[in-house]
Amino acid sequence: MSSHAPQSIQDYLDRLREALAGADAAIIQDALYDAQEHLHAEMSQNPGKSESEVLGPIVSSYGSPGEIAEIYLENEDRIRTAMRTPRPQVHDSPWPKRFVSVFADPQAYLAALYLLLALLTGIFYFTTVVSGLAIGLGLSITIVGIPLLLLVLAAVRLLALVEGRIVEACLDVRMPRRPRTLPRDKTLWDRIKRVVRDGRTWTTLLYMLLQLPLGITYFAIAITSLSLAIGLILSPVLSLFGASIEIPPYGDVPWLLTPVLTLFGMMLLGITLHLTRWLGGFHGALARRLLVQAGR
Amino acid sequence: MNSCEGTSIAERKFRKELNAGTVSLVLLALLAREQRPLYGYEIARLLAWISDDEPLVKQGALYPVLRGLSAAGLLRSFVEPSVAGPPRRYYEITDSGRRELKNWSHIWRKVTRLVDIVLIKEPVPPEEETTQ
Repeated sequence: MSSHAPQSIQDYLDRLREALAGADAAIIQDALYDAQEHLHAEMSQNPGKSESEVLGPIVSSYGSPGEIAEIYLENEDRIRTAMRTPRPQVHDSPWPKRFVSVFADPQAYLAALYLLLALLTGIFYFTTVVSGLAIGLGLSITIVGIPLLLLVLAAVRLLALVEGRIVEACLDVRMPRRPRTLPRDKTLWDRIKRVVRDGRTWTTLLYMLLQLPLGITYFAIAITSLSLAIGLILSPVLSLFGASIEIPPYGDVPWLLTPVLTLFGMMLLGITLHLTRWLGGFHGALARRLLVQAGR
Repeated sequence: MNSCEGTSIAERKFRKELNAGTVSLVLLALLAREQRPLYGYEIARLLAWISDDEPLVKQGALYPVLRGLSAAGLLRSFVEPSVAGPPRRYYEITDSGRRELKNWSHIWRKVTRLVDIVLIKEPVPPEEETTQ
């Protein structure tokens, strides 16, 4: 840590980011948000004082960038270990056990929920972005076009935070809990320039667009395999109530044989849950790449 | 600048471990007592004022705890724009937060009573104890 006191809020935030280098990007975003809120509140409590005058005492009351970095890293560790549901340790058990263990893994069901939900969110994000951009670009020959485009970028930043919350809840990937901080520039124009230059703005936009085709694919995979599996599992019951269970080339399946179909259904459900867990992991990594890590 | 000057590693470690739960209890109790939503900076100032010049923790350490309490459903938070400066995130205690506070303060009283007995009470000579 450099020895002299930070001279400006931006200087403080830069040093905090430096001290947190290598930490989870989501923690960095949260820590910067908190520090920025606190430091600016302190500034507005002391009107007429310069940033360096206010920052001197703050380093001892709020904590130096190094101390704050340490606090956030420790806190995160403690909460993660306390809140996390222990995963069953099945890595070195025989494969049948590993296969069956997926039925007891809440992560697989949550991932399935996410895959089904992705169609809804995908449609919503895609229409927001595409209609916003189309109307904005179309109107850009008039005076309202550019503000509308900027509004779309602002909305996308908010949607990224919401999507992050959904991804963390369903896919168990740590995502930011606070919006991405922007240095408080002197003019609105500087702020706009910064948002436009920020690589993350564009990767977020890309994510929102990708979410529709991905959402359709996820939904199709999840809904077909889940409904087929559940249909097969319930086939003895359905057949009792008079539904005819037919397998195309062979025709009707007699009731006595339907338990075999149930067995097939259970196997298919197991495979589906493995697949959803894998797809969930893939999507979580994608969300982190595009919504958190890009344009750091 | 360095606040750790003059304190031993053992003292720092003890403070850190002691503060781990105490800060949560203090924040919960403060928000229950104030009966109105407070924002982070306001909470930090209030605690600084109450604790004079012997603050429990660095103010920067309060924010992660507030966030943790919100995540556990003991507090709820919302953002409101402010007249001067950036928007503020306000925190307010929830019903389950009040219930938890009741449990925690019960535990706290039991622990402090025990610590006080061990720490403060003059050691009682064995013969005196038998006469009483």
